[in-house]
Amino acid sequence: MNSPLSAQDHEPLTGRGRSYFDQEGARGALIAFVSTLAFIVVVLLVIGRSENWPTVQRSFFDFELMWESRSVIWRGFRTNVWMFMVGQVAIMALALLIAVMRSLKGPAFLPVRFLAIVFIDFFRGIPIILGLLLFGFGIPALRLPGLPNSAVFWGLVVVVLSYSAYTAEVYRSGIDAVPDSQRLSAASLGLTQWQGLRYAVLPQAIRNVIPALLNGFVSLQKDVALLSVLGVREAVREAQIITGRTFNYSPYVFAAALFLAISIPSARFADWYTARDRARRSQGAG
Amino acid sequence: MKLEMREIHKSFGSNHVLKGIDLDVDEHEVVCLIGPSGCGKSTLLRTINLLEKIDQGTIRLEGQLISDGAANPNEIRQRIGIVFQSYNLFPHMTVLKNLTLGPIKANGMDPTAAEAKAKDLLDRFGLADKVHEYPDRLSGGQQQRAAIVRALVGDPEVLLLDEITSALDPELVGEVLSVIRELATRGLTMVLATHEMGFARDVANRVVFMDAGSVVETGPPSQVLGTPVEARTQQFLARVIEGGRL
Repeated sequence: MNSPLSAQDHEPLTGRGRSYFDQEGARGALIAFVSTLAFIVVVLLVIGRSENWPTVQRSFFDFELMWESRSVIWRGFRTNVWMFMVGQVAIMALALLIAVMRSLKGPAFLPVRFLAIVFIDFFRGIPIILGLLLFGFGIPALRLPGLPNSAVFWGLVVVVLSYSAYTAEVYRSGIDAVPDSQRLSAASLGLTQWQGLRYAVLPQAIRNVIPALLNGFVSLQKDVALLSVLGVREAVREAQIITGRTFNYSPYVFAAALFLAISIPSARFADWYTARDRARRSQGAG
Repeated sequence: MKLEMREIHKSFGSNHVLKGIDLDVDEHEVVCLIGPSGCGKSTLLRTINLLEKIDQGTIRLEGQLISDGAANPNEIRQRIGIVFQSYNLFPHMTVLKNLTLGPIKANGMDPTAAEAKAKDLLDRFGLADKVHEYPDRLSGGQQQRAAIVRALVGDPEVLLLDEITSALDPELVGEVLSVIRELATRGLTMVLATHEMGFARDVANRVVFMDAGSVVETGPPSQVLGTPVEARTQQFLARVIEGGRL
């Protein structure tokens, strides 16, 4: 996206962009470092000296077992990654379509609006896990000709539909936040309602909701693991299989670490993007 | 007759905003609508290019009935441009993109031709160096001038101007009014709602005083602003003079 504020891209964003340490000064940095270190040492001592720690360690932090199961869980995790990547793309497209359907004005579009509202109410209203059981087991059991029978397919469909219902409302809040005068302005140029949405309203609306979309993406990364109930061999399912065999929970911990390795950077990126966007807006307004 | 409006009625819920307005606008004529806030002048402007649907009455453009719902509003709006008080430029597009969006997408103008025309107009109105700027980098006066140019790129037959200086800092009003003056000299047909009485006297061929949804008095500016006949016009102008705006 080309920036309206190219001049400002080269200078630091005062306040927000600066790191914690710049603001506190060297003395503050030293204090923060020492107190953090002391805190970690105390926690490790308390945990390590507890008499139950060896039991916990054997059950949860068996690094040998983690090492043995790493490739199986990693293979499963790659399934998670492609599921949430494909899912996110599908969600953003479908949700946008539903949000647009819902925001069309005029009596002629009543059935379209109605359909969008029914969709949102339904898929936002049922638990994902129930949808998974219903679609993931139910539809393949029908053995209908021409329909895919794969659990991954139907599981992903349910997750996408459910997330799209939420995300459509996110988009809609973004559309509602664009002043009515922008639609009026588009109409006054002779643009049709659709053209006004496409060129004037939606670009602004989408920019409004990017932080919320990123947040939803972080959530989706974890929720695709729900497909394990359908027997999809993703990371949690693989860990579960090993745990079932060894009665040791370390594979779960390993899988958790993989999820964190993706979700924490994603969350930080969302924070960073939101802060940058806010700084740009306040500069633009001033 | 360029525009003929007969017996225009418009209500918002129980609020009867326009109560049977008759208004004719000749080719090349500049008509100023004046009157207290809430008298219906903005609404009247918006009914002309069908941004507001009228409840009763008829609007004709070049003799063609446009208010019966059969005319395509998007086509009418290409022929009758409008500029609003709050500029309403699209904040996510450069000035040039703002200007060419309508002509390219609505009028089907060739993009290269639209850009050339937009640049030419920006140049003529002193905005040549703002072509690739985003609206938030422009002053209010520059934004409003860009909004006026945006309404001109598609070559409208009539231009409607809805209190286009009301949101501006006083020192920026002049640059916007001079644009309108130039358009008037070029013979563009314009209908403008304004609080700038001095400007109305300068630029208008005819002044229409509205109050409470009706036309009270109409005539040449010297008459309506100088020697008004109706009591309501006199009262309004007395208040305006007190406020130092005439």
